[in-house]
Amino acid sequence: MRFKTKLLVAALVVVHFVLLFAGFIAPYDPAEQNRVLPYAPPSRLHFRDASGFHLRPFVYGLKLDLDGFTEDKNQVFPIHIFVRASRYKLLGFFETNWHLLGVSGSGRLVLLGTDGFGRDEFSRVLHGGQISVAAGIVATFDALLVGMMLGMLAGYYGGWVDESLMGAAELFLSLPWLYFLLGVRAFLPLHVSPARTFLLLTCVIGLIGWARPARLVRGIVASARSRNHVLAARGFGASDFYLLRRHIFPEIYGVLLTQATVLIPRYIAAEVALSFLGLGVNEPVASWGNMLSTLQQYSVLVSYAWLLAPACALVVTSVIYSLLADCLHSQLKFQSS
Amino acid sequence: MNYLGRRLIRTVLLLVGVSVLCFLFTEMAPGSFFDDMRVNPQISPETIAMLRSHYGLDQPLIVRYGRWVKSALHADLGYSIAYNVPVAPLLWGRAQNTLLLSVTAMLLTWLIAVPLGVWTAARRGKALDKTTSIGVSLLVAIPEVVIAVALLAIAVRWRVLPIGGMKSEDLDGLPLWVRIKDIAEHMLLPVIVLTLVDSALVVRHVRAAVLEILEAPFVQATRGFGISRSRVLFRHVLPAAANPAISLFGLSLAGLLSGSLLVEVICGWPGLGPLILDATLSRDFYMVVGGIMVSTIFMLGGNLIADIVLTVIDPRIRTGAPDAL
Amino acid sequence: MKLITNLALLVCLHAALCFAVIAPETPSAGEELDRAADVSGHSGGHLTIGERAEPKTLNPVIATDAVSREVIGRMMADLVEINRATQQTQPALAKSWKIAPDGRAFTLQLRKGIRFSDGHPFDADDVVFSFKVYMDENVDSPQRDLLIVDGKPLTVTKLDQYTVQFTLPRPYAAAERIFDGLAMLPKHLLEKPYHEGKFAQAWSLNAAASEVAGLGPFRLKQYVPGQRVVLERNPYYWRVDRDNHRLPYLDELVFLFVGTEDAQVMRFEAGETNLVSRLSSENYNLLTRERARTNAQLADLGPSLEYNFLVFNQNDLSSKKLDATAQRQKWFRALKFRQAVSAAVDRDAIVRLVYGTRGSALWGNVGPGNKLWSNTSIPHPSPSLDTARQLLKSAGFSWNQSGQLLDASGQQVEFSIVISSSNTQRMKMATLLQDDLSHLGMQVHLVPLEFRALIDRVFQSLDYDAAIMGLGGGDADPNPEMNVWMSNGTSHLWNLGETQPATAWEREIDQLMQQQMITLDYAKRKQLYDRVQSLISENLPFIFLATPNVLAAADPRVGNFHPATLDPCTLWNVDELYVRGSVEIAGAR
Repeated sequence: MRFKTKLLVAALVVVHFVLLFAGFIAPYDPAEQNRVLPYAPPSRLHFRDASGFHLRPFVYGLKLDLDGFTEDKNQVFPIHIFVRASRYKLLGFFETNWHLLGVSGSGRLVLLGTDGFGRDEFSRVLHGGQISVAAGIVATFDALLVGMMLGMLAGYYGGWVDESLMGAAELFLSLPWLYFLLGVRAFLPLHVSPARTFLLLTCVIGLIGWARPARLVRGIVASARSRNHVLAARGFGASDFYLLRRHIFPEIYGVLLTQATVLIPRYIAAEVALSFLGLGVNEPVASWGNMLSTLQQYSVLVSYAWLLAPACALVVTSVIYSLLADCLHSQLKFQSS
Repeated sequence: MNYLGRRLIRTVLLLVGVSVLCFLFTEMAPGSFFDDMRVNPQISPETIAMLRSHYGLDQPLIVRYGRWVKSALHADLGYSIAYNVPVAPLLWGRAQNTLLLSVTAMLLTWLIAVPLGVWTAARRGKALDKTTSIGVSLLVAIPEVVIAVALLAIAVRWRVLPIGGMKSEDLDGLPLWVRIKDIAEHMLLPVIVLTLVDSALVVRHVRAAVLEILEAPFVQATRGFGISRSRVLFRHVLPAAANPAISLFGLSLAGLLSGSLLVEVICGWPGLGPLILDATLSRDFYMVVGGIMVSTIFMLGGNLIADIVLTVIDPRIRTGAPDAL
Repeated sequence: MKLITNLALLVCLHAALCFAVIAPETPSAGEELDRAADVSGHSGGHLTIGERAEPKTLNPVIATDAVSREVIGRMMADLVEINRATQQTQPALAKSWKIAPDGRAFTLQLRKGIRFSDGHPFDADDVVFSFKVYMDENVDSPQRDLLIVDGKPLTVTKLDQYTVQFTLPRPYAAAERIFDGLAMLPKHLLEKPYHEGKFAQAWSLNAAASEVAGLGPFRLKQYVPGQRVVLERNPYYWRVDRDNHRLPYLDELVFLFVGTEDAQVMRFEAGETNLVSRLSSENYNLLTRERARTNAQLADLGPSLEYNFLVFNQNDLSSKKLDATAQRQKWFRALKFRQAVSAAVDRDAIVRLVYGTRGSALWGNVGPGNKLWSNTSIPHPSPSLDTARQLLKSAGFSWNQSGQLLDASGQQVEFSIVISSSNTQRMKMATLLQDDLSHLGMQVHLVPLEFRALIDRVFQSLDYDAAIMGLGGGDADPNPEMNVWMSNGTSHLWNLGETQPATAWEREIDQLMQQQMITLDYAKRKQLYDRVQSLISENLPFIFLATPNVLAAADPRVGNFHPATLDPCTLWNVDELYVRGSVEIAGAR
């Protein structure tokens, strides 16, 4: 069990590391359009050509004719490591133009093909992952923060505080938010940058979801407050705040962690769903959701299978989180019994 | 009982709260039903204004809410602007289709998932458990939308099933079994999607609950007494695991009307989901409010029934012990 | 034994069903029928069409959504119809008409001996009743505005049992085009609800088939909620083919509610539906690739009449608290700014990437699809960033170190464009536009909004910088567009609510449009409208982008498939469509 947890955490760290350094690993800027290469298939890497085997792989140029794209064997572009290409801000403030991979000249290294505007899908999956996963994490943080505070208040004080807060929680859980979320974008002011839109949206998603964690936390706090060590501390004159911080919070820590691993993939999926419907992150910023929205068209889904890459990335990330949640859950049970 | 009485009052208050929020949100959403006509250069604003007052949309919100509540108590949920017929019969007809779909899916889910959950818990660590775990994790991780679209694409490629709709044409004179078979064919795709998604969750919960009970001292004791494995499972473990299962069942009941929205829209099943979605997008005011209220009643009703059953079965609830889930 | 009797029963039932189709009545002597001299085919069979949404009502007077109108249009007929192929008017229920020299009085001669689909005879009383209902203020028909010219409704008088006279308050060019789309209602069925004040509830989807009657090629047979509407042949339809056989050929017409365009295509591929119209280019290409296997009939009819454009908010915002937007309007109001934007837009990329080359770039409001009215002398310049930069420079704009565009006061040029989130093509156009304008140093934010939220901003709150929208497509004639180009028009999007024309060119357009409305001679109208188009493309109230081609497909067995550019694309000649090969048994697949 412990080993499995460690393995999963390592997998998650790798995924997040890759996403964090998306700017470096991606060969191109995600918004860079190439209007002569729409819907190009993934680049085929070759090691062997007329003059024999090469250690350095290369790609051919692409020609567009009636049946689609074909490789032009006259144009050879070897792949280089550590190339200088478009400028970007590494980790948000360190401006540079070094990229891990690239080709020179008029060649295009499109490891996962291109979308309808000729933008590199691989770069977009990486940058889009930053947005989607960050959305999940921020929304989860919001939901857990609010849920934890309200749950602690409800569980600790009980009585009418508890009744009213839980009543509000039930109200939040009962409303069909899908319908209301359809209209949420319309309320936001127009003149916000994409970054702020993103933050606002994730806050909204997170704030809707405080109810379930709150109930969980409330349950645990309610039972914890009558434990012997808490009663003893109270007898010694400890304040409410001290009790909450020192004795009760450690009890809920485990639950919060497990809830986090459960909620993060769910909120990533929520961002995907909103962007899928066209009401999330805007163009030209990539997110897994707005990349998948082009697949709503049957003709695209059937003809350009490489555009499913964000779905695969989403599933992989969700599965890792999901398995980690299982492990943490059983570990928690093991520890508490 | 006191506890139930309080729950009932809470439920009624909740209903009132939801209806108020419904009205507020629908009103606050920018745009109205007649905006389609605004874009048409051949229709004058005077006509649009007349239509608005014809349907009472220019009256203050409180007045409209009051009138709606009064008529709702008589089961009259207002008029649909788009269809020009009363909302309630329209909703009921579609709700029947949705119920047919979701009740079938729910029965299938529980028929499959409960035994599966119990089995994998009993045979923990073995091959069946491992494969089921992986399958369940995958199903839980993949969004419902993706599963529905994938299955739909397969159905189209191989032409095995009818796509969309509930019945084929011209079946009126034919015998009952042909008609039932036809509906079953149309229902297969959405039911499969719903069952896959729901059973993954149920298997998980049942397995976790059974596992927990299996480790309890009283079960170890029964083994010590030499009682057979299967008897232990069915006579002693299952009843104890009933609590979370019933809560989950209540959630399933609650989601009967609203849980299948996405699947209905994607698979073209003529249920409540597509109707309300369309009404929301076109701002058909009373249809939106009516639809959401009906869904909410089901949701709260399902939760209430689960609570009642739990209270009857599990005495711990009555004494107010902390939540298990 | 039981099995055999059951089987026999089944066979008998099935056979009975086959013969339960409605046969056309043989033409009688007293009927004045319309003979289509070049139409032939054979009777029998049914066609299924997939619709993207459900119809909301069967009432022709209050129906507004496209699907309802498409279904109703197959059950109803008008006095004069616009032939969608030639885009000219032709006689329908009125076999001939005379226009008085002053252009105000129309005298129409109705066909004698025609009956409604329930057998009841049709005459001038029905016409007078129909127009009374359309113009009644209490009924609130959206079509009422079509019958009001200069604020005054037209008058209808019955001259005799088969002659009706319409008097317009003033001459109106191409007035007979008004009649297309105004279905003639059966007085004997609808008079009662009308007098009881319940007209809007009549002919809802719950109506029984016996309550609904019209003069169209089909009549209502069955409605299954949420799934389909079934129409059957109208045995009394007033058109015959070349051999004097009464039309329509089809026994039944079925409208299936399939939900989305993709579902339409999927069902068409699966053979469940027989006609698809308004295809996107991707789906059309998909069907083309499958054509070897399916033998489907595919039609690319060339550019449509719709025009997509970028509009800048030039409304008078002094009464609203929109100071930030008002600041930006300095840029939007500068003609050179708009000209620069227009010069930077890569329309070719839009046609290639958004419409898959099945489209046409636009520089004016009347595209090449409208052969009668298009002004071919309007210049079509290629995109040129240099021209755009020069225009911006001469308007006082400059660029800073990082290449961002600054206006004369040093403020960075940054604005947002709102688009409807449900329209994927316009969203794609917006993305391309955003990229084009970034080469000029403009920072453009795209804001997808739900459709009604968008309309609210553009028409009501006026809280937007720019929007990408589409208009047009209804009719080729300029008159329906009056409200867009007249300065006091309700669709004068860039500057709504003008009491006076804000600019000299708008004043000139006002005069020209008024004049063309009362000019009866086509050549003179064309000259006036050409000048309007020139003014529009010079002054760029809208920056025109592109228009898609009209694409349709049909099952190989559909005969007389002649889709048209105007809606209803594939069903305008539904009475002439027939099914090739053996006679289809209803229900068999």
